[in-house]
Amino acid sequence: MIEELRRIVEERLSALDGVVALRRTPEGVAPFVFRKGDDLSELEIAPKYPLMTVVSRLHKAFPDIRLGVVARGCDERAYIEMAKRNQIDPARLSIIGFACTAEEAQECYCATPYPQQLLVGTPPPPGPVNPIVAEYDALPLAERRAFWKRHFSRCIKCYGCRNICPECFCEACAMEDAAWVEPGLLAPPFPVFHLIRAMHMASRCIACRECEHACPAHIPLTVLYDLMRRDMETLVGYLPGTDISAPPPLSVKLDQAPLRMSGVGE
Amino acid sequence: MGVEFEPRVIAFMCNWCTYAGADNAGVARIPSPANILPIRVMCSGRVSPEMVLRAFRAGADGVLVMGCHLGDCHYDSGNHRTIKRIPLLRNLLSYAGINPERLELVWVSASEAPRFAQVTTAFVEKIRQLGPLSQEVTE
Repeated sequence: MIEELRRIVEERLSALDGVVALRRTPEGVAPFVFRKGDDLSELEIAPKYPLMTVVSRLHKAFPDIRLGVVARGCDERAYIEMAKRNQIDPARLSIIGFACTAEEAQECYCATPYPQQLLVGTPPPPGPVNPIVAEYDALPLAERRAFWKRHFSRCIKCYGCRNICPECFCEACAMEDAAWVEPGLLAPPFPVFHLIRAMHMASRCIACRECEHACPAHIPLTVLYDLMRRDMETLVGYLPGTDISAPPPLSVKLDQAPLRMSGVGE
Repeated sequence: MGVEFEPRVIAFMCNWCTYAGADNAGVARIPSPANILPIRVMCSGRVSPEMVLRAFRAGADGVLVMGCHLGDCHYDSGNHRTIKRIPLLRNLLSYAGINPERLELVWVSASEAPRFAQVTTAFVEKIRQLGPLSQEVTE
């Protein structure tokens, strides 16, 4: 599979300024822009890393650059949400998509472990729903509170979840604003800090699990974000990362993103 | 014990509809609960999730978000944002283990002074039944 990817990257490089992918060096694996003539045997696909953040930075820094990117399903979903919020220019990006392995899909609880623009590999069966999410509605309020207090009390406020997130690109972050999150408190006050982020993720989270992988305190953040993803679908039929032509539902009028539930505000 | 619990409720009211409705309730001498602490905003769509969470953090036992009915927004579609945001935030509160009934979205127009009194009274009574938020968050 990786040989075929390398071959496609080499082909595409003739018409592109570079291809963003992972590269193996003696120090480890890291994002890299492969250019014509580079040694493509160094190109890797694991471990998983959110490459669309790199693409976005390059697109902003070099307004004419034309790039390719080696992308998993979650990378493509990140691209879809970033492009409609002007973080990536679709006209200057070509996606070289590959399917994840069945084990990866399991580990990530991934419903779509392959991109829409799939070039290499065969789609594995979708991963299961996170069992905590599947059972969550049956939990009484007091148990939910106890669950999150236990986990959030370990938070060291490192902002790793935000920094790794491909959908966190605001120039001013509410989680750093003293008006909303008092500085100097560790763990940050329950539950404000984490709920601000969860709310901001509501129409954006593409379930890549990077925040959870990055978290040094092993807080199961995606439980909260998976529930918000489900709710966005129930509320306005919006599943982030699916449709590049669907406008961000929370910032448009009701005729563009109608409510699918009744009784609100009455 | 012995001191009866008096709920503290922060009500975000839109300048163009609900705030005027509250004003008219006062002019018409329609009693509404003194538990309501009004915060005037230019539009219910201005009420960010951060503002609601800060209200709870600052000691509110309940938060009301009040604005113009759909179709009456002074800014055409500010309340289109509110109507999607508040249900999501209610769900999120419940996922964190906070009773979502502590947050409510209500439309009250400038001419609905009796409705203002009625919905604020009902909300304060509901919060009185639920008890103080601190009981939920600090236990």
